[in-house]
Amino acid sequence: MSNHIVENLKKEIENFSLQLKVEKVGQVMEVFDGIAKVSGLSDIKSSEMVTFAGGQVGVALNLEEDAVGVIVLGEFSKIKEGDEVKATGKILEIPVSDNILGRVVNAIGAPIDGKGAIKADKTYPIEKVAPGVVTRQSVDQPVATGIKAIDAIIPVGRGQRELIIGDRQTGKTALAIDAILNQKGQNMICVYVSIGQKDSKLRKLGARLEAGGAMDYTVIVSAGASEAAAMSYIAPYAGVSIAEYFMDKGKDVLIIYDDLSKHAVAYREISLLLRRPPGREAYPGDVFYLHSRLLERACRRNAKYGGGSITAFPIIETQAGDISAYIPTNVISITDGQIFLETDLFYKGIRPAVNVGSSVSRVGSSAQIKAMKKVAGTLKLDLAQFRELEAFSQFGSDLDESTKKQLERGKRSVEVLKQLQYAPVKTEHQVVVFYALTKGFMDDVPVERIKEFEAGLIEYSERNAKVFYKEITDTKMWTEKGEAELKKAIEDFKTSFQK
Amino acid sequence: MTVISNNDIARAVYLVSKDKSHSEQVKISIKVVEFLSRKRLLSKSSDILSRLSKIINKAEGRVVARVSSVEKLDHKTKLHISHGLKKRYSAEEVIFQENIDSKLIGGLRIQVNDEIIDTSIKNKIGQLQEHLTKSV
Repeated sequence: MSNHIVENLKKEIENFSLQLKVEKVGQVMEVFDGIAKVSGLSDIKSSEMVTFAGGQVGVALNLEEDAVGVIVLGEFSKIKEGDEVKATGKILEIPVSDNILGRVVNAIGAPIDGKGAIKADKTYPIEKVAPGVVTRQSVDQPVATGIKAIDAIIPVGRGQRELIIGDRQTGKTALAIDAILNQKGQNMICVYVSIGQKDSKLRKLGARLEAGGAMDYTVIVSAGASEAAAMSYIAPYAGVSIAEYFMDKGKDVLIIYDDLSKHAVAYREISLLLRRPPGREAYPGDVFYLHSRLLERACRRNAKYGGGSITAFPIIETQAGDISAYIPTNVISITDGQIFLETDLFYKGIRPAVNVGSSVSRVGSSAQIKAMKKVAGTLKLDLAQFRELEAFSQFGSDLDESTKKQLERGKRSVEVLKQLQYAPVKTEHQVVVFYALTKGFMDDVPVERIKEFEAGLIEYSERNAKVFYKEITDTKMWTEKGEAELKKAIEDFKTSFQK
Repeated sequence: MTVISNNDIARAVYLVSKDKSHSEQVKISIKVVEFLSRKRLLSKSSDILSRLSKIINKAEGRVVARVSSVEKLDHKTKLHISHGLKKRYSAEEVIFQENIDSKLIGGLRIQVNDEIIDTSIKNKIGQLQEHLTKSV
C-alpha cells in the first residue's frame, strides 16, 4: 500500500513541470467584517478570484482607483495588514463532478459533511451569462411535485422559475422538500441551496432527505448563518453552477434557493461595507440584477444545444404578509409565477397553506399532462366559485339548492387539497382523486371523512382500475374504456365505504 | 461630488514641480504641505509620497526592482537581471532594492510595482505541493 503511494508520488513529481509566470500581487491595506481593501493588483477583473498569503480565497468586487475591495470567502481574522494578495486571473470557480451527488458542500464547493474529499475533474465558473434565446425551448414537460394543490392548480414545468413566497413558519421549506422527495425515479437531479439557515435546520433537512432516499440525486449547498455574508452571497451562484454541470450533461435539474430574502440581506451587508450607495430599504442599486441574473440561468435548453433543464424554486420570506416590499416585488416580477403561502390558512389547518386564488403559474399549464388538465380545469372553477360564495353565504341563510351544492363541493375540494408533510402523491393517484371530486362522486361523502375516502379510493382503484392507470402512465390521458372502468371502481368503492 | 484620491494629489504635485528649479521646488513643497494640512490630509502623506515616487520613476523611465535572494547578488547576476527588466518594462534605469531572505531556500524573487517574478525554491515547492494535493 505504502509502496503504491510512493510510486504514485514519484510519477506525479516526474510529470510535474514548473511554469514560470509573472504574478500580479497587491498588499492588504485594511481588513474588516469579511472585507479586505487591497492596494496594487492593477489589472484585476471584476469578480476575479484572489488568494491571500494564508491560503484564503477572495473575490474582487470593487475596483477603485487606489484600491480593490475584496470579499473574503472564509476565515478573515488571520489576514493581516501588509499581507500579500495574488490575483489568479480566473473568475471564481467551484469543482464539479458526478461525485458531488449525495454530498453537502459549502459555497465554494468544499465538502462539509465529513465524508471526505470530492474528487472533481472539472471546475465551473460561478458567474456565467444565462443561455441565450437560440439555445432555449419552451417549457412543455411537467415537474411532478407530488403536492396536489401545485400539480393541479399551479403546475410547474421543467425550466420554469416558480417563486414560493410566504411568512415565516408557513411551510415554504416543507413544500420544497416534498418536491425533492417526489423526484425519486423522475429522472431529475436536485440542488438545495441553503442560505443563512441554522445548521440544526440543515441537519434535520439532510436527515429527512436521506431517510426518503432523496440524497442519491440531491446536492446540498450550504452557507450557514454563522458564516460570513460573502458565503451567503456566493452560495446560490455556486448552486446554479452545479446545476449547470448536470444540465450540460442533458439532465433535468431542480434547484431550490432557500431563501433569497437572506441572500439579498447578505448582499446588502457586503455592499454597505464596500461603501456602495444604499437605495430603497438600504439595498444597493443592483439588487434586482443580483436576482435576475441568477434566475435567468434557469432554462429549458433545446435538443440541438444538448437538452436538459434547470427548474428554479426560489423562496422568499415576507414580513407580516407584506408582498409589496422591495425584494418580494422584485422576485415576483422576475419569476414565471408564485405560490403564496398564508399564515391564516396554515392555522385554519389547510396545509400546505397555499392560497390557490393568488398563486399563479404563467407557463406551467402547457406542461401539464392532458388528464390532469382535464380534471384540474373543473377544480379551479369549483374553488373560484366556492371562494366567492363562501363570503356571500355568511350574510344570508336562505340559499338555493345549486348554491348549497357549490358550497359543499368547495368544502370537499379544500379538504382534498390538504396534504400531510413528506407525503407526496403520485400524478396518477392525483388524477383519480380529482376525477372523483370533480365528477361529484365525493359530494355525499361527509367532509370529515374525505381524507379517509381518498386514501381508500387510491388503494381500491389501483387494484380495480388497472386499465385506467396504464392509460395515464402510457398516454397521459384516459380513453372511454379506462374511464368506464374507473367510474365503476369509484362506485364500487363508495358503496363499500358507505356501508 | 468627486473624491480627490491620493493618486490625484501625487499627480498634481508632479505636474506643478516638473521642470522647476531647486528653489522653486522648495517653495512648492512648502505649499503642498500647507495644502495637505489645510485639507487634513497630512496622515496620507506617506502614501502620496510613494505614489509620487512611482509617477516620477515612470516618467523618467526608471523601475524599482525589489530583489529577494538567499545570498547577496554578485555584479554579473545584477547586470543580467537589469538587462532583462529594462527590456520587459522598456526602462532606461533599474534601481535595485536588495533583500536577503533565507526562507526562499534558493533562487530569486523579483518584484516590480505589483508584478512578481518568483523563481525561488520556496515557490517551486509550493507549486509542487499544490499539484500533488490536486492530483493524488
